Amino acid sequence: MNCPNCGTTNLDNATLCINCGRPLTTASAAPPQPPVQSYTPPPPPPPGGSPGMAPPMPGMMPGPVIPNYLVHSIIATLCCCLPLGIVAIIFSAQVNQKLAIGDVAGAQEASNKAKLFCWISFGIGIVGIALAFLINGAAFLAALHNHM
Amino acid sequence: MRRFTIICSSAIAAAGAWVVYTFAPAGNAWFPQCVFHQLTGLDCPGCGSTRALHALLHGDVAAAWRFNPILFVFAAVALCAVPSLARGEEPRFYKTPWFGWTSVVVVTGYWIVRNTPLWPY
Repeated sequence: MNCPNCGTTNLDNATLCINCGRPLTTASAAPPQPPVQSYTPPPPPPPGGSPGMAPPMPGMMPGPVIPNYLVHSIIATLCCCLPLGIVAIIFSAQVNQKLAIGDVAGAQEASNKAKLFCWISFGIGIVGIALAFLINGAAFLAALHNHM
Repeated sequence: MRRFTIICSSAIAAAGAWVVYTFAPAGNAWFPQCVFHQLTGLDCPGCGSTRALHALLHGDVAAAWRFNPILFVFAAVALCAVPSLARGEEPRFYKTPWFGWTSVVVVTGYWIVRNTPLWPY
């Protein structure tokens, strides 16, 4: 099904456009989140870049900005070498996905989990690196001692 | 306070760069090694980044790319974000579903492929 507003191809059973959030079915199936229904496509951004935040989006994302921790997750994955970092990245991606369909509560939940897994990954990484440093260092010193 | 943070992080970054520049990570037992690599013998997505930085600081871009190409990918993404960040905004792509899922696929795929014979380096 193509969105009548922006033309994006959506799943046939989708109620809201994944790109612009416009309801796809006419009145028959009312989506559970009423705020999204009043959403109108944002005007093109002002050329100079607006001070502060965002063009007016009536009803859309009224609460605080939900961080997705994507950068944190990627850094945790690259620096701490843990599969848990990948889990954090997946939750970060879910934040974006859920924000795009207007699921603010779900996005917040995914955001919390992304943050949690970032910290677990970071903590285990730091402890692991410290342990490895000690063990390698001890082995290094032992080897040095044997040489002398 | 903000200036203090900037000075401290710059000093730490400079010290880190000096250490990575002066000592070769490969064959130096004091360098902290990747725990995942020590436990499993496999490479993680971050493995090789210290060696890559060492090569990069010595001007050997080709060697840096071989050690860890994903650093270059994320550096390119970070460059794309600079104009927005300079205006104090979040880059527009950062909160899009495609960017999130692409990151998942790229990091996971890179992790898997670099441990298979398909990996060219």
